[in-house]
Amino acid sequence: MLDLLVDLVDRAQGHCAYAEARHVSTDDEHLLVRNGQVERVDSLSGEGIGVRVRVGGAWGFAASARATREDGERALAKALEIARAMPAAAGHVLTPVPPALGHWSGPCEIDPFAIPLERRLDLLVEAEAGLRGDARIAQSTAECSLRRQASAFASTEGAACTQLRTETGGGIQVVAVDGDELQVRSYPSAHGGNVGLGGWERMVALDLARNAGAVRDEALALLSAPPCPAGRRTLVLGSEQLSLQVHESIGHALELDRVLLGEASYAGTSWVAPGDVGSLRYGSEQLTVVADATLRGALGSFGWDDEGVAAARTTLISDGRLLATLSDRQSAAAQGLPASAGCARADGFARQPIVRMTNVSIAPGSAGTLADLIADTDDGLYLETNRSWSIDDRRLHFQFGTEVAHVIRGGELAGLVRNPSYAGITPSFWRSLDAVCSEPAWDVHGVLNCGKGEPGQLMRVSHGTAPARFRDVEVGVA
Amino acid sequence: MVEEPLELAERALSYADGDAQVTVTHERSLSSRFARSAPTQATSVDDTVVEILCLRDGHTASASTNRLDDDSLRAAARQADAVARASARAGRGDHPGLPGPVEAAPHAGWDERTARLDPSEPADALRAAFATAADAGLEAFGLWTAGAVRTAIATSAGVRATDDATDAFMKVVCRDDAGRSGYAAGTAHASAEIDAVAIAGNAVRHAPREDGIALGPGEYPVVLSADAVAILLEFAGMLAFNGLAHAERRGALSGRLGTQVAAASITLRDVPSFPCTLPRAYDAEAVPKRAVTLIRNGVADAVVHDLRSAAQAGGGARTTGHAVEAGGSPYGPQPTNLVLDGGSADDEAALAAPIERGIYVTRLWYVNVVHERQALLTGMTRDGTFLIEDGRIGPPVRDVRFTDSVLRILEATEELTAGRRLASEGEFYGRRFANGVVCPALRAHGFRVTGATQ
Repeated sequence: MLDLLVDLVDRAQGHCAYAEARHVSTDDEHLLVRNGQVERVDSLSGEGIGVRVRVGGAWGFAASARATREDGERALAKALEIARAMPAAAGHVLTPVPPALGHWSGPCEIDPFAIPLERRLDLLVEAEAGLRGDARIAQSTAECSLRRQASAFASTEGAACTQLRTETGGGIQVVAVDGDELQVRSYPSAHGGNVGLGGWERMVALDLARNAGAVRDEALALLSAPPCPAGRRTLVLGSEQLSLQVHESIGHALELDRVLLGEASYAGTSWVAPGDVGSLRYGSEQLTVVADATLRGALGSFGWDDEGVAAARTTLISDGRLLATLSDRQSAAAQGLPASAGCARADGFARQPIVRMTNVSIAPGSAGTLADLIADTDDGLYLETNRSWSIDDRRLHFQFGTEVAHVIRGGELAGLVRNPSYAGITPSFWRSLDAVCSEPAWDVHGVLNCGKGEPGQLMRVSHGTAPARFRDVEVGVA
Repeated sequence: MVEEPLELAERALSYADGDAQVTVTHERSLSSRFARSAPTQATSVDDTVVEILCLRDGHTASASTNRLDDDSLRAAARQADAVARASARAGRGDHPGLPGPVEAAPHAGWDERTARLDPSEPADALRAAFATAADAGLEAFGLWTAGAVRTAIATSAGVRATDDATDAFMKVVCRDDAGRSGYAAGTAHASAEIDAVAIAGNAVRHAPREDGIALGPGEYPVVLSADAVAILLEFAGMLAFNGLAHAERRGALSGRLGTQVAAASITLRDVPSFPCTLPRAYDAEAVPKRAVTLIRNGVADAVVHDLRSAAQAGGGARTTGHAVEAGGSPYGPQPTNLVLDGGSADDEAALAAPIERGIYVTRLWYVNVVHERQALLTGMTRDGTFLIEDGRIGPPVRDVRFTDSVLRILEATEELTAGRRLASEGEFYGRRFANGVVCPALRAHGFRVTGATQ
């Protein structure tokens, strides 16, 4: 396949300023056990070629589900036709990149697709059974997501590389209802569980069945818990909720295409201005954030991004100060940067690469364990597991809800409150960060549904986070 | 694609044993994005996906592929069959079985010119939008997209159904150097109905020319444009009219059917053949899509069903043709062609006339669910939020956050415009399924603002 792509981009020489071709072959499987039965097992196997060209500053991209030489040539011709038809654009040159050559594979100890289906289902059936047993349980689910994706990439600048990724993970969730009250509880995280690069060993390590009883009991307890009080409070955020906070209010805000207004009509812009890099105080001195596409086992890791830029580890924020953004070759050139940050990613063969997060993580701090942090907090709330999220189109005003909050009183957890929410303004919130737990409490959380682009692209990214504390935050807003 | 979708579906079905449904979806689409009055990305997609759903003892399993050779289709059929059998080990599942063939009424949702996906169409539209924005001293940002989707379903129960539909969508955000922006969009089944000049002109009119004032938290009278109303109604579709959630007591109308849940002026239906909607003949289970009245004169009337949710609901419930996945989505059925009756107001200015101090909202953004049972949502306003003072839509307001129940907003609705239009976000993740809401603008009291951006 790589030879076909190399031939294809060779044919493009002389017809455009730049061309690249990608072949992507994906096998997906999603298993869902719901309310006592195997509800769905869906598998998807697909492949295709996407060709992107640049003519007169305008881009054209065409995708074909057939992976033959003739279909690749048709896609190239279509991409050229589209690019030529577009109004002229004053395109910047792309930042230089050494040709991507070779092969990269992500980690995978046990091929999840080689595990007999019955064994995969048994794990979920056992976990889901542990969620039931009370008439107030309206829905109980256990799910597992598997993906194997092989890709090849060639460009008119000499790139010719292949990659193989395997992703595995899942989770459990219960919905409890009593009258007009409805409560949700999930493990290890909401929105499909925790998925990462790796094999079946990841699924086994989640130990879903052992955690099911506690998940169910907490959902039931929340039905009669008092509502989250409104006011300004000290917050301790669990690492899963913090991962989404990082995703929405740091990761997206630092996408350079947004900063440069390229996404103004859809994903939005950013409160960060192009000239802020190097000077803006994004948060307190406790805040150090790294984008690391080399992080083992994380969904945003790869050998090369979808423009053939080698995986990189970039410090975005150091001790609260903004140092860098997430960029692709075009946005980096427009900003006058010497090189792309390696953040061009595409969702499958039929989408073109755009600026995406890799693994945007908060560096661990020195606050010890979660227990240490709670013991160090006299009065506050500890919020866990995302339930609701929303942020404005400049990534400035946000409001989040979590599945559960625990009252912290005198350094101890002192009971549940239901329907917790908090809101804030991004820089004020991050400047109120006064403690981050230490490395043993640091964990990586996968996000499967990061939406951006038109037509829409769902990207998979991860965030490393440890529980952290924020002072004087508005809570109980919902 | 040389082979007709139905021929391909029948070929795939020939490899499936027992109860099975094959769905073929052939998407061709063209999307052209722009920013700062220049093209940024242009994407052409041509993909055909074959989904084989096997049903064994009430359990479903599906295998999908875009590899169309016989070996790949045979492998997909084997996979679906093996998984469905494995799923059935523990006892009978709750799928009631595949339905027999029922002819659906034809619709006029296919337009040959749109289906040609000629790149000169978006190119001309972009040039027109750029010129309109430039005349107002603004830059244009947005998307033009069109799609031609041919769907065929063949089942072991004898169904042979086809549904061809085209769609076209354009949105324009016009923005000045200070970041003040206005939005407008148009949606239709035919690209010729997308008037780039008119859309860009409306976006210009929604763009504030001065900085927005800050509005504090509180409850405000509000005029919501049709675009804003449409987003809220789509969430209502998921939270309140989803037959599966309703049957499982998770739905926002659980225990409330037959009661007054909205103002008497609210009549909300799902009408797949409504004149300006994006029509569909069948749902994902090859059941003809039925028109359903969801709220009649403010009284909750019905929820929508697919085969499984209807079976689960019992009491004589039948599918209404609202399955969004073959075999029924685990998230439940959804209305996809919502239509809200209009009122008597001439326009949005007339809606604003009785308001002493309130808000006009052009567009809502990043709306998400806070509490499912209460249909409680949160989100931001965007691209044109204005203060209404003394009955007139006046100076701009900084974007605000709302946290409010969509059912409460419908209950608090005081008036609607007589005119309606098809509003859509034009979002296409994964398989292209264009849909939208036909609705008027409305005025409601007590819109709950819980914050504001800076």
